[in-house]
Amino acid sequence: MDPANHPPQPRRHARRRWIVPALLLLVLVLAAFVIMWRPAIAPQQAAPGFDPATIERGQRLAAVGTCAACHTVDPSRPFAGGLALATPFGTVYSTNITPDVRTGIGGWTEAAFTRALREGVSRDGHLLYPAFPYDHYTRLAQDDIRAMYAYFMTRPALDAPAPENDMTFPFGFRPLVAFWNILYLKKEPWRPDPAKGVEWNRGAYLSEALAHCTACHTPRTKLGGTDFKRHLDGGVAEGWYVPALNAKSPSPVPWTREHLAEYLRTGIAPDHAVAGGPMQSVVENLRLADPRDVDAIATYIHGYLAQAPVRQTRAAVPGSLPAPAAGDPDLARMRIGYDAYVTACARCHEVGREATSGAALPLQKAVALYDPDPRSLIHIVRDGIAPPDGEPARWMPAFGAILTDDQTAALTAYLRRYGAGQPQWEQIEDKVKKAKQP
Amino acid sequence: MSRTLQSPSRRRLLAAGGSLTVTFAIAPAWAQDETPLNKGKMPGSLEKEPWLDAWIRIDADNRITVFTGKAELGQGIKTALLQVAAEELLVAPARITLVTADTARTPNEGYTAGSHSMQDSGTALRHAAAHVRTVLGELAARRFGIGAPAVTVRDGAFQAPDGRRATYGELLAGQQLHLRADPTIPVRAPDGHTIAGKPMQRVDVPAKVTGGVAYVQDLRLPGMVHGRVVRPPTPGARLLEVDTAVVTRLPGVLKVVRDGRFLAVIADGEYRAVKAAAALARAARWDTPPTLPADPTPAVLVRALPAKPTPILARGTPGAAGRTLAASYTKPFQLHASIGPSCAVAQLAGGQYTVWTHSQGVYPLRDALAEMLGADKAKIRCIHTEGSGCYGHNAADDVAADAALLARAFPGRPVRVQWMREDENGWEPYGPAMLTAVRATLDPAGRIADWQYDVWSPPHNTRPGKAGNLLAATHLEKPFVPDTPKPSPQPEGSGDRNAIPYYVIPNARVVHQFQERAPLRTSALRSLGAYCNVFSIESFMDELAHAAQADPVAFRLRHLADPRAVDVVRRAAQRFGWDNYKKTPRRGRGFAFARYKNLAAYCAIALEVEVARDTGMVRIVRAVAAVDCGEIVNPDGVRNQIEGGIVQSASWTLLERVRFDERQILTRDWAQYPILRFNQVPERLEVDLIDRPGQPFLGTGEASQGPTGAAIANAVADACGLRLRDLPLDRARLRAGR
Amino acid sequence: MTTYHLRVNGREHAVDTDPDTPLLYVLRNDLQLNGAKFGCGLGQCGACAVTLGGEAVMSCLVPVSVVGERPVGTVEGLGNAQAPGALQQAFIAEQAAQCGYCIAGMMMRAQSLLANNPTPTDAEIRRHMMPNLCRCGTHMRILRAVRRAADALHGKGAKA
Repeated sequence: MDPANHPPQPRRHARRRWIVPALLLLVLVLAAFVIMWRPAIAPQQAAPGFDPATIERGQRLAAVGTCAACHTVDPSRPFAGGLALATPFGTVYSTNITPDVRTGIGGWTEAAFTRALREGVSRDGHLLYPAFPYDHYTRLAQDDIRAMYAYFMTRPALDAPAPENDMTFPFGFRPLVAFWNILYLKKEPWRPDPAKGVEWNRGAYLSEALAHCTACHTPRTKLGGTDFKRHLDGGVAEGWYVPALNAKSPSPVPWTREHLAEYLRTGIAPDHAVAGGPMQSVVENLRLADPRDVDAIATYIHGYLAQAPVRQTRAAVPGSLPAPAAGDPDLARMRIGYDAYVTACARCHEVGREATSGAALPLQKAVALYDPDPRSLIHIVRDGIAPPDGEPARWMPAFGAILTDDQTAALTAYLRRYGAGQPQWEQIEDKVKKAKQP
Repeated sequence: MSRTLQSPSRRRLLAAGGSLTVTFAIAPAWAQDETPLNKGKMPGSLEKEPWLDAWIRIDADNRITVFTGKAELGQGIKTALLQVAAEELLVAPARITLVTADTARTPNEGYTAGSHSMQDSGTALRHAAAHVRTVLGELAARRFGIGAPAVTVRDGAFQAPDGRRATYGELLAGQQLHLRADPTIPVRAPDGHTIAGKPMQRVDVPAKVTGGVAYVQDLRLPGMVHGRVVRPPTPGARLLEVDTAVVTRLPGVLKVVRDGRFLAVIADGEYRAVKAAAALARAARWDTPPTLPADPTPAVLVRALPAKPTPILARGTPGAAGRTLAASYTKPFQLHASIGPSCAVAQLAGGQYTVWTHSQGVYPLRDALAEMLGADKAKIRCIHTEGSGCYGHNAADDVAADAALLARAFPGRPVRVQWMREDENGWEPYGPAMLTAVRATLDPAGRIADWQYDVWSPPHNTRPGKAGNLLAATHLEKPFVPDTPKPSPQPEGSGDRNAIPYYVIPNARVVHQFQERAPLRTSALRSLGAYCNVFSIESFMDELAHAAQADPVAFRLRHLADPRAVDVVRRAAQRFGWDNYKKTPRRGRGFAFARYKNLAAYCAIALEVEVARDTGMVRIVRAVAAVDCGEIVNPDGVRNQIEGGIVQSASWTLLERVRFDERQILTRDWAQYPILRFNQVPERLEVDLIDRPGQPFLGTGEASQGPTGAAIANAVADACGLRLRDLPLDRARLRAGR
Repeated sequence: MTTYHLRVNGREHAVDTDPDTPLLYVLRNDLQLNGAKFGCGLGQCGACAVTLGGEAVMSCLVPVSVVGERPVGTVEGLGNAQAPGALQQAFIAEQAAQCGYCIAGMMMRAQSLLANNPTPTDAEIRRHMMPNLCRCGTHMRILRAVRRAADALHGKGAKA
């Protein structure tokens, strides 16, 4: 053979060299496609009938699931969606879960509804963002899913297309969620703990599978999944700091089970602060749940809360908060904070007002002062805590436009030191500025 | 613009009142002998105050002052009365100064209440002004030496054809017309009106939108000091001890007052008074036994009170055959909830009390203060000074009593007392809880053949007059005891106001179960019993219509004989589009009609609501009202009152309930007692007025309260099938479905 | 007692008062400004609304000691009876008052909206005004007056 007529050896190697990676890539793409793609489920033409007892059970369960907290924005349009949820990956808008055929879930069969709750897949096959906590709902019993399906399919249908999400690149590409699901979606059925009683197990099931307490009360990983190893260690939700509910609980006054149940049902319990921020809508929903279920959740959570060591805190010291000490290294800022406290806060937060007219918790007992993070306190001061439309409740006014950023930061620092007597928070000024963004 | 006078014959004028006995030169004042003008009743408040110069005075420099015993409550009465007087006097309204209720200066027209102001004061002023204008015209004719018909008038001056002029002031030359009003003198014909009956901007609004001095809260008198009262923590509380010394030492405190359970502090600055009062509250120890009912449900609470049954209607015979329906309705205690808590300023100087107050009745208040203070009535002057809207008997009289007591304790300086929000919500007299029961029989033709209606109600009138009706007086060491309330007789009524249906029903019995006492202090709240009675009757009319398978509007028309009632019903239905209404999911329509007190304004309302059962939210999508209030003086004023009445009644109906436990009132602020906010007011609200020139003025300010409540309940029933009979139809009740 | 220097409606004032005195009382009693009214002292009704640094606040909750140099705006700064400002003219034209006690607070609440959002929708106006209460039921006229002022100030380009 003449060497000039043969192809050179390197070219043959080169061809072989890129075939393998190409094949690998193809395999990966196919695998990814398999992972990311879901089929559509055919829409139903007409909803089946449901019996009233099932519907009512579904209503109670939906209350525990706090569905309305995200899916109801305007109380005259229940479940029409439209709530903007800021996540580290962009802003997700909640969808219309009324049985409207065009803009809601009117065409969804029970199988489609179940798949959404268990796998986070929409009827037409697109993947839902885990802002919808299907990683919790996946553990629900089918009977409960069926009851909630009955409830939602019998709500008045409202025409309400969901607003467009505003995701940071590349998270707008939904199929990527499939990889998140591999890491964080554990599709195991619920198993009770035989070492624990009936009520604890009921509370555990409701809390983990339905009320999804840990979705806020447990920290998240960088990829936004629940960090299972740090169960109930606390977290962040909508810019608020969410306190730990276990041995790390910052609450200066220990919770009793009864007080926790009362708090979950009504939003207030003696010696504890009023539910504010995201917890407010949780409580508004739990108010409509079966009280026995709320008690069960309280039993379960209290099992962890009771592990918190009893500490001596300023909560036990009655009376006015003190003026800053003359030798305080941060005296200038403390004085500003103290002045703001005395003139703006003490009028309600110190003793002397009736419970029926403005009396508020003495701040040495307020858990927000004891959080490892000042964000909840900053939000409470800025935004206040207002009753739901047209319903009576406690009302703390908003001071966001009244106090300057510096005054808010100084007040925060003062309350941390002289209200709670805890080590000072870091970067308070920065967090005050960040709290202004909606 | 000139006017040719239409003057009655002089002969009639002279014959009517005896001779005009004085001339320009000699008489110190125009006077007339004392024989009464006519045997019949005088129109409006002229019956109580027949002398012209009590109502109208004209100074030599032609400035005109008109006096009314009524008070501006924000209902626009000052403007409307100005229009009436200006129309008859033929002057521009800007020429007139209107002086309102003042025990030293104005006629005594009792209370500004019950939608009586136009009927009482408007009518009196209209006739008095007509008489004054006529007398002046006669004087001008005499001065010019010409016949009266040749005289023309323009804006406060008469003119002869040759151009000679004489102003009203020149004609009277400083004298006043001490003549008895002659109601036979014709008033101006409505078709000639240029002021009354035309829109006129309210004279009080400019100051209110630019921060002018407009309210009793704005009064600043030289040397004025500030008082605050510390009320008992619960209605049944007993004061055990109080350390006033620690309060006396606080900055700015001038005096601490204690008289029995009445505790107060006076300071040189307002916020210092607020802080001192808080300190005084902390320095007091009270015994607070449970004194309030354990079950606050109106049906239970009201039923349990002793009642005196008074039949107010017994027509025909009972026992008609047919299909019988029955229902019972309730309303809770509700607040006036004035936006500005009550306020008064009082001063004791030279043995004379002066009280600036937004009380609805300065004369009765004066009597009560005289009794409480043990002083002579002649030594007390009460001057009405506008407060925020009161909507009935709120705490205005009580705070005046507080101020008078503090003025007595700290003589010489004016003392300003401002109630705090918790005081107002805790201590104002409430609109009473009420219970009604109705039973009716439909004949085979679908007409009501028999009707039985009972209404149980605590008092709707505990106004002063008597010192015991002033809150502070009941807390003194030697306390006064509240008067025994009495029901107001029909046709006005109190708890039984509008208890008699305006419909044609051949056999009907209505019984007013009057209850002398309630566990909470109650008194008049706008429309009194009419709100609950119309709510009940008009809800039940819908239930009957449904049973008769008749359209609710057609069913009402089937039972109405008064053509003016028929007109408003038809107008409201037509304007709403009742016959073409297409029901959509979650929405429904409701209708209601009433003639306030069965003798005042007619009001029909049609409205559409949207109901969200899951959250309990009820939203009024649109509301249409048709109103006939006789001859309209200020159309925009009428519209404003009806719109406002609809929105206020919607708030009562959808939200409001005084809550209490066995010891205390719980609804002390807006957080605990929410009222309607902008998110729940109707999307659209239209008021259609039917003007009846020449017809008597009909009271309008309270006409829309009752129909609104029923129209909402009827619309909710239409929207979601839920017939709710217990007010309020709040979110909790809508969620629960009962 | 401390001396505070306040800037109210564009003018400087020196006021001697206690640090915890709410701005409401300072405006009414020390500066004789009637606009802001006492309604509840709890920040629940808005009768006391003024602007602070351009934003509507409940002056009953603002201790005078935190105001500092931020400008305070009251209804008196919008115009007077002889020369009413645009918002005041709109309220007069619509006769948007019954007892009128809430109106000054309503106007300052509206003022903060119009200053930050010149072309509000009707829904935005309604939502923005929610912190303010009216007991007489004048709401429809108040909404029309704010709408009218917005249109007058910024032209009828408002979004539907």
